[in-house]
Amino acid sequence: MKTSNRRNLALLGVVALMLASVLLFLYLKSSSNQTITYAESRDLIGRIKQLNAQWETEILKARIAISHNYDPLVSPLTEITDLWERFDTMESSHGRNDSPVWRTSHDAYLSAIQEKTRLVEQFKSHNAVLRNSLAFLPTAEDDIQEQLARLADEDKLQLQNIATDTYDLLLSSLEFAQVTSDDKAADILLGLNKMGVNKQRLPEQFHSPIDILNNHISLILREQPVVNRLLENIEAVPVAERLDDMTNLLNTDQQRTDAANQRYHFYMLVFSVLLVLLLVYLAIHLMRSFTVINRVNKALQTANEDLELRVEERTRELKDTQSELLDTARQAGMAEIATNVLHNVGNVLNSVNISADLVSRKLRGSKALGLGKAMQLINDHQGDLGTFLTEDPKGKLLPGYLNQLVDAIALEQQGMTDELAQLTKSVDHIKDIVATQQSYAGANSLMEPLHISELLEDALRMNSGALTRHHVTVVKEYGDVPQVMGDKHRLLLILINLISNAKYAMSDLTNRPRQMTLGVKIVEDKILQVSVKDDGEGIAEENMTRIFSHGFTTRKEGHGFGLHSCALAAIEMNGHLTAHSDGPGKGALFTLQIPLKTVKEEA
Amino acid sequence: MSPSFHRLLLAPLFGLCLSAGAAPLDEPLKPLPAVPQQNPLRIELGRQLFNETRLSVNNSLSCASCHRLENGGADNKAFSLGFNGVPVTINTPSVFNASLNFRQFWNGRADTLETQIHGVVQSPSEMGSNWEHVVQMLTADAAYQTSFANAYPDGVTMNNVQNALATYERTLISANSRFDQYLQGDTDILTLDEKYGYQRFKDYGCIACHQGVNIGGNMFQKFGVMGDYFKTRGNPTEADLGRYLVTKDEEDRNVFKVPSLRNVAVTAPYFHDGSAKTLEEAVDVMFKFQLGRIPSADDKTLIIKFLKTLTGEWGGKPL
Repeated sequence: MKTSNRRNLALLGVVALMLASVLLFLYLKSSSNQTITYAESRDLIGRIKQLNAQWETEILKARIAISHNYDPLVSPLTEITDLWERFDTMESSHGRNDSPVWRTSHDAYLSAIQEKTRLVEQFKSHNAVLRNSLAFLPTAEDDIQEQLARLADEDKLQLQNIATDTYDLLLSSLEFAQVTSDDKAADILLGLNKMGVNKQRLPEQFHSPIDILNNHISLILREQPVVNRLLENIEAVPVAERLDDMTNLLNTDQQRTDAANQRYHFYMLVFSVLLVLLLVYLAIHLMRSFTVINRVNKALQTANEDLELRVEERTRELKDTQSELLDTARQAGMAEIATNVLHNVGNVLNSVNISADLVSRKLRGSKALGLGKAMQLINDHQGDLGTFLTEDPKGKLLPGYLNQLVDAIALEQQGMTDELAQLTKSVDHIKDIVATQQSYAGANSLMEPLHISELLEDALRMNSGALTRHHVTVVKEYGDVPQVMGDKHRLLLILINLISNAKYAMSDLTNRPRQMTLGVKIVEDKILQVSVKDDGEGIAEENMTRIFSHGFTTRKEGHGFGLHSCALAAIEMNGHLTAHSDGPGKGALFTLQIPLKTVKEEA
Repeated sequence: MSPSFHRLLLAPLFGLCLSAGAAPLDEPLKPLPAVPQQNPLRIELGRQLFNETRLSVNNSLSCASCHRLENGGADNKAFSLGFNGVPVTINTPSVFNASLNFRQFWNGRADTLETQIHGVVQSPSEMGSNWEHVVQMLTADAAYQTSFANAYPDGVTMNNVQNALATYERTLISANSRFDQYLQGDTDILTLDEKYGYQRFKDYGCIACHQGVNIGGNMFQKFGVMGDYFKTRGNPTEADLGRYLVTKDEEDRNVFKVPSLRNVAVTAPYFHDGSAKTLEEAVDVMFKFQLGRIPSADDKTLIIKFLKTLTGEWGGKPL
């Protein structure tokens, strides 16, 4: 039973563990953290794209010289690098780099951004000098025209031509800056050559400004196509496309993950449904079990009630039996007491008999008969009484005889009176015994003032015959006990029984005098303690606990009621009866303790 | 003087009248940003490391040996001396505001301060050490070990040493120059000459390269746009190749990072080769080879006056 229970428990545990792990597995599968990474990665790529666009805007602004500050061409790249590092760390920590497609896309982006960075750096350098020269051109041209205007003594027409050439060159250069074409380049080259020729025609002071102008225009001629080419190349660098590629990869991955998640979600749903069904099944099962349990419980309850009824019945029967037994015992007790009483009465009747016998014998042999003989002599000698008394030898003796007779009759009377007194006493004793017996027969508790020592004397008297017969010496250790209120009959019952038991206990004693000690004393001012001690056969240890129980006896003729009724009586008086023995053959001590209720002194 | 020039001259003067309040000016040059908020433990650690001579292989040089904060963040030599007493091949740029440069080193071979630090410590001509040695040395030092443990979860590592130094360097901002105060709206702080100087600076096209928050430091440029500087100077060296050394692209021959002009008055000598001993020389070279123009003597003086307003403060004192 136990092993199968344990096996069931283990099985249940394994099943629960399996279900839990399946659920956990499905949960983990259906909510991979790739989704969170995905959102963040998309966000990072979006921001990089935005910065890339911003970067391009700044490049164009620099191209048309709106801004002289190149910081905005630096900061987007710095931010892009930061964002990319975050993105790369995040993605590579998810093992993205294991995929060759991803790796390719990743590297393609890196090379694109690297290329773009390189081109932008070149653009910055070239654009800066180009813008500077373009900005300077009008001033450079002004410097020449101003000097030309101041030149008064030269050929006006030639000066006009030079001025026009210079102006044309400026114009072609500015046009070239807007529309960079080979035609315009040719125009500029032509203009530069013209300027070279013009320079020779002009005085020394013009050489330096013309050289400066030429230098700057050459620079424009050189740098403008470079800047244009760089811009085209920058535009052609597919940074945004590479980012889109990565986004597409992310999307594909995410879709796959989503699909997987959905699949696992579905599995989880199915699993949950199964679990719910299982739960419902278990619930139904449980409910059924519950019904069965209820039914069994009800049956049990009914059986229980039935049993209780039967127990009650049995108890009642037992009680009845016990009270019957009690009655029987009481009767038996009464019979015993009656035997005692009758025995005592018999004893006393013996002395009554003896006394009566003595009196009647005395009466039969009474000297009063002599008085009758004397009176006959007197009547015979009625006429000569005097003579008879003085003369007759017989008559002479008569007065002496009468005197002697008076003494004898007086003595006889005295003896008979004594004997009758003894008789009366015996009769009184019988009356007492009977009265005691009668008073015992009443079962009701009646509290009356009594002297405990007198009660002890009564008890002794009621046992006196047996005590005398068994040669028991009674030692009385009566303390100074006032008159108390007590139930005379119960006390007497207990005392008679205890004395009788003590007497029996010592009946087999031959080696030493049989001595019984009666004690009365007050304990702690509230308990009256009466003890009966014998030095008889004692009580065995194993009997100590059951001597007060009903039906226990060690005597052949005993019925085991005495001590039991005594203990009951003690309890009925709110007291208790205890026994003590040092062991078999060492005597026993029975102690009765009842609450002390002294009689209030009458005022 | 040309009318257009007058117009250009008037524009900021009108602006001056209009912005009598403290509204910041919208100029191609920008004032320095505030020092970023960073972990003070790391800054302090970086400061100690910056002055730590044991970073060099023979305990002779710290960062501060060449980047003297009391000396404009650089030294006054054309070429600083390496750990072995041999001069390096390129001029030491200022450490002040270096964090605002878009790349590090003259040829821009380092993208970050950390990479720059990485290079200098290992450079056989500069500190000549190696990171294994540096980390070992710092780990052996109980004080450093404690400082690192407090500032970084993983204690002394190469990355943390570089990060601490870079963190400290980001605090090296020479704020509060008179010109920055001017940009922030305090237009009375510059004298009229200095304002004219700024105007010339813009007109001559210096601003084409020296602009932005660091007044330079945000692009590469060829040294010798309008003429061959190196031919004129003579004695071409490997360092003169500039960015070509990094990219091996013919386009990048003699291309350098445009240096910041902040604190330019206190960071002589100038250029990557330290060839210009004074601001005047430097401005002359710039006009000749970069701008291809000949300024008037007055304009040059004005521009130099303007350049002197770019000197900022460090530790509450002007540099």
